[in-house]
Amino acid sequence: MTDIIATNQTILVVGGGISGMTAALEAAECGKNVVLVEKNPALGGRVSQLYRYFPKLCHPICGLEINQRRLKQNPRIRVLTMAEVTAITGGEGDYTATVKLAPRYVNENCTACGECAKAVDAEVPDAFNYNLGKVKVAYLPNKMAYPQRYVLDPSIIGSADADKAKAACKYGAIDLDMKEESIQFKAGAVIWATGWKPYDAAKIQPYGYDRYSNVITSVEFERLADIHGPTKGKILRPSDGKEAKNIAFIQCAGSRDENHLRHCSRICCMASLKQTHYVREAYGDAGKSTIYYIDIRAIDRFEDFYAKVWKDPNVNFIKSKVAKAVQDEKTGDVVLHGVNTEGYHRYADSYDLVVLAIGMEPSVMGANLPAEIVSDSSGFIEADPANHAFFGAGCASNPLDVNRAVQSATASALRAIQVVNRVARVEGN
Amino acid sequence: MSDKYRNNFLREVEEKVEEGHWVKMCMQCGVCAGSCPFGPHWAHPPQEIFMMIRAGKREEVLTSDSMWMCTSCYNCIVRCPRKLPITHIMHGLANYAHRLGIVPKNQPTEHFATLFWNNLAQTGRVNELKLSLGIYFRDGFAQGVKNAMAMQSVGLGMVKAKRLNPMELFGGHGVKDKSGFHAMLKKAREIEDRRKPIA
Amino acid sequence: MADMKVAAYICQGCGLGDRLDTAALAGVAKKEGKAALVREHAFLCNAEGVKMIRDDISNEAVTHVMIGACSRRAKTEAFGFTDVCVSRANLREGVIWCQPETDEARETTQEMAEDYIRMGCAEVKKMTLPAGDPAAVTERRLLVVGGGVSGMTAALEASKAGYQVALVEKSGALGGWAAKLHKRTPGKSPYADPQDTPVAEMAAAIEADANIKVYLDAITSKIGGAPGRFEVEISTESGSTATEKVGAIVQATGFSLYDANNLPELGYGKSANVVDQAGLEALAKAAGGGAIKRPSDGGEVKRVVFVQCAGQRDDTGKHLAYCSGSCCLTSVKQAMYFKDANPDIDTVVIYSDLRMPGNGEDFYRSGQTKGVTFTKGKVSGVEATGNQCKVNFHDVILNDQAVIDDADLVVLATGQVPNSGVDIDTKLKAEIAAAGGDNSLMEAYNASQAEGAVKPISMLNLNYRQGPDVPQLKYGFTDSHFICFPYETRRTGIYAAGPVRRPMDMVQAMEDATGAAMKAIQAIENAGLGRAAHPRSGDLSYPIFRREGCTQCKRCTVECPFGAIDEDEQRFPLFNQARCRRCGTCMGACPVRVISFENYSVETVGSQLKAVDVPDEFSEKPRILVLACENDAYPALDMAAMNRNVYSAFVRVIPVRCLGSVNTIWINDALSNGYDGVMMMGCKHGDDYQCHFVKGSELAGIRMSKIGDTLKNMALEEERVSTFEVAITDIERVPQLINDYAALIQKIGMSPMKGF
Repeated sequence: MTDIIATNQTILVVGGGISGMTAALEAAECGKNVVLVEKNPALGGRVSQLYRYFPKLCHPICGLEINQRRLKQNPRIRVLTMAEVTAITGGEGDYTATVKLAPRYVNENCTACGECAKAVDAEVPDAFNYNLGKVKVAYLPNKMAYPQRYVLDPSIIGSADADKAKAACKYGAIDLDMKEESIQFKAGAVIWATGWKPYDAAKIQPYGYDRYSNVITSVEFERLADIHGPTKGKILRPSDGKEAKNIAFIQCAGSRDENHLRHCSRICCMASLKQTHYVREAYGDAGKSTIYYIDIRAIDRFEDFYAKVWKDPNVNFIKSKVAKAVQDEKTGDVVLHGVNTEGYHRYADSYDLVVLAIGMEPSVMGANLPAEIVSDSSGFIEADPANHAFFGAGCASNPLDVNRAVQSATASALRAIQVVNRVARVEGN
Repeated sequence: MSDKYRNNFLREVEEKVEEGHWVKMCMQCGVCAGSCPFGPHWAHPPQEIFMMIRAGKREEVLTSDSMWMCTSCYNCIVRCPRKLPITHIMHGLANYAHRLGIVPKNQPTEHFATLFWNNLAQTGRVNELKLSLGIYFRDGFAQGVKNAMAMQSVGLGMVKAKRLNPMELFGGHGVKDKSGFHAMLKKAREIEDRRKPIA
Repeated sequence: MADMKVAAYICQGCGLGDRLDTAALAGVAKKEGKAALVREHAFLCNAEGVKMIRDDISNEAVTHVMIGACSRRAKTEAFGFTDVCVSRANLREGVIWCQPETDEARETTQEMAEDYIRMGCAEVKKMTLPAGDPAAVTERRLLVVGGGVSGMTAALEASKAGYQVALVEKSGALGGWAAKLHKRTPGKSPYADPQDTPVAEMAAAIEADANIKVYLDAITSKIGGAPGRFEVEISTESGSTATEKVGAIVQATGFSLYDANNLPELGYGKSANVVDQAGLEALAKAAGGGAIKRPSDGGEVKRVVFVQCAGQRDDTGKHLAYCSGSCCLTSVKQAMYFKDANPDIDTVVIYSDLRMPGNGEDFYRSGQTKGVTFTKGKVSGVEATGNQCKVNFHDVILNDQAVIDDADLVVLATGQVPNSGVDIDTKLKAEIAAAGGDNSLMEAYNASQAEGAVKPISMLNLNYRQGPDVPQLKYGFTDSHFICFPYETRRTGIYAAGPVRRPMDMVQAMEDATGAAMKAIQAIENAGLGRAAHPRSGDLSYPIFRREGCTQCKRCTVECPFGAIDEDEQRFPLFNQARCRRCGTCMGACPVRVISFENYSVETVGSQLKAVDVPDEFSEKPRILVLACENDAYPALDMAAMNRNVYSAFVRVIPVRCLGSVNTIWINDALSNGYDGVMMMGCKHGDDYQCHFVKGSELAGIRMSKIGDTLKNMALEEERVSTFEVAITDIERVPQLINDYAALIQKIGMSPMKGF
């Protein structure tokens, strides 16, 4: 049974992406006790699935390394992975959270030696790589995974692979009898750092994401460019593995659209500008990028980055919302149809690969929240007195870039501290 | 004084054109322009028409052939990220230009639409024969004969299928209460004119 | 402290026992490592193994623990003993996972492992347990500089958490920029209409808050000290001064609007009817909700044109190159002032990209619903024509040269210029540019220093050796360079908030200020415990300085990226522990090696590299020292090993806190001990630097460029010392770099220095 020591002065952080980790660390480094709950088997969230950040083009896992080091040396944070909050009762300064822990089938004895993965045969889609590749049914979520511990896919239970994995482990780390648990603990304040999910691209019918293999989303493109991704960092298109050298980026795929997401997702323009750099990095002058946009939202100093990309002769900008995409079944190329609105020029341009700059939707959208939370018309958690000691952080509160998400998470940590400090004053300690 | 970029025409469209109040909501993404199957054949796609309205280009807009080309396929409406009823706005503009009487002469769609309406409004039923002849002979007798000959097989087919009666040339069928029908149309016109007056 | 007792533990798990002769490793630890206690264990990181170590600490009085197992990045918590010194010999990722599993490789693999055991033992013996700063004190009180919305937010939020605040505002009232506004852009659903500003409400809350002390008409005329113990001298306009002791500082000094007088081509200064956004707010305030009148003659306003990006996003170098991010929202709000009062007024916004992210889209829609019209275009000029203006622009959609010739009012959306005080790096930047052949910055700097030149006014007046204000990033903004760590200014305990950090709107400023208050509170708490702030959070060590050896060369004071080191009256460096981030740049800079940390010193690294067994010249086994940044290069090596990417068995890797901490003595020692080459792996530097200690890798590059003389004196080829920029994702490139370098060494031959 998992034991949690928590009181009304404990801060519960839901979500272990960059915002949740930040909120937890900032609060803990102020001397507060924190329980950090993450539904995946490893922390890191969406940023751990990015190849580079804009505008510095540095690598997200560099910051993750620092945050993990902070986490490892801080005894005030209790991390629960494969965990989901199923209910929260009580009120500000006196909540009771119920958390469901899914079985990992691997206990803390795991040394991440990898023998179990070698022993098993079956494979499942690799969620870390947006299912673009496969992983063994015994797997380490990714090379930066924290906790650094293997996971058994639930499909393994009852199969021959389960016994093989168990037999391969010399350390008694595999526990096939592990069951789902439900635990309850107290918390004074709750930070919802539940993050975002890419909008369901299949719903944008004219772009054919569900029909055309060479129409992919921007988050998937990150995995193609990443050395830890399914193509080991080579930009190869899904249909035939051909090098994708001529790539189109479609902005506002889902965003700024009353049929899909009403809000602007803020990050997509910069993400596409950044991704043109991946094309250049991979193919030099042979790599061509074309960005179809309504407004390029390169705010503040990001403008510098935009100006730099704008000057790149291999990057073309077309002010147009693409009307439709059609993939040629023979060549695999995708033709985009539409009108360049600057002076009215019709186009039907062919590309090796089309990347949809997919919009951000709050992760909790459509999910059953374990508590009443006031949110805006897009589902982002609002700063509202009716939310009492529930605080949105990062992309749960607004479509934000990483920098702003971390600011928001830091602010949310203070709001939670205000509550638990009040509790402490009342309780006299 | 120039009327360029004054909002006078935008206001006029809002007041007098069916669904005209949507024009200001366009954000110039151009998805309508790209989605129109007839796009390549127009001077101005919808998004550009909307921009021209905002720019006060009254004459150019109302004499344009663009809104007459719309086939009501509704591609633009389903894709518009601002949910503008673009098809309806285009028809609204066409109708407004027609009512103002400033449609260029021989605008074929307008010609057909007028012919159709007048044909229908007489008896309450469309007289297919007169309608087709009206179109064939709009450019003179000789051209009319040529057009009729070209469409001969279609016409004969329709006769065989009992979709066209040659006797319609001499009268034709109609609704039972013709005067009631005319009264109804008159009333409808009055209501329309009150709702979206021309002047 | 009790007598040192070293215990070495060698794990046999994860294949270590199969691939290595662990008994031999134990022997090395005992004989060469001089470990008093040596134990092998089949599975050291499990509860039983950890208990064994714990018991030895309790029962055998072990004070220093050397663990030969996996990387220090793995099982960190299991081996995270805080009451003893711990070193980790990386036998798993560092040896067996990066070496081929073949019989031929067995010998070199074993040699590698034995060296790491020697190194681990040598290192741990030179470590002492950080005692923390016994003098650590802390004031649980914040200073907030700037009484605008950002500053007021920081003050109120800190107070709500139970901390006291001194709030210093240079003008006679709280409110800053926001106080000049008629209304603000909305911060909540449904994002449809301009809202009242929060100024009055916040000022009243501050007034009523016993935790907050406000100084109006006041500036901080001097700030000294460090986090936990800042001493602030506050001078008021009336001439009085006060002193405040605070633990941390929030700098919320805001922005000034870009001077529209620089835009005569847009009619500013030529017609009273051309105003900037502040001018329009003033007109709206004066109108008090009634009709805004035309400034030139009080006439009725019928048409208003908003010119976006006025003097912004400029590529000519004359104006602001950046986007201020908030002006689109502001223009829509200001157009609503007119539309809400009288829908018959025409309002046209001429923009190149409308930038209203997030829920700004709702506000954009609301503007359109109210009849504000938007035109994508580029304004080429604004001319005054009597009481009206003529706006010439290119309509990009209609591809028209267009004119609006009867605008009653033209509003220029000029941008935000940060009030960040003195750019303390101007001279340094000019020197760097001059070294690169560009003298323009130096000329500008000299001009700024000339008699009678207008000197920038400091915002904080820090009495720090490195200058009176916080170092600036680009365009004068006092921002962090790190995407993951937006609050990392280069002055520990001083956090920027609001538009002084980055151009922003009020919603963001309030969020930012709350975060800044959070970091300030954290700095206060850390200072009280003598703990380091990010990125070495919790580190209790700090620079220990041997004064008697110091030659007062000042390199440490100049090179410290965080301005932590001042000078005392006798011109010796004065270390301010609470300002220090423990990167070790001072240690790397010191030519006489008088600076060290308890757990990281010239000795802890020097003893490791000397502990390596260097085979003789004829062995054909070169030795290459790799000094790897612990944050990027070292994890990259670990992950390369996890992927079983093989690299040369001749390298010995030592993680360093930062390449900035690399003292050239290590290079000298390595070469004179017979190493054949030294590879230094640090982070990318330059404009997009990735070094988390700001300039460590850059400094290392500069220092190493000067090592040529040393090499010449030793008659060694210059390739024997090389620096590399490495990223954490370089899991294939790093092994390749190592192998290429090993091949290069093979080519130039073994070092002649062996055996001396």
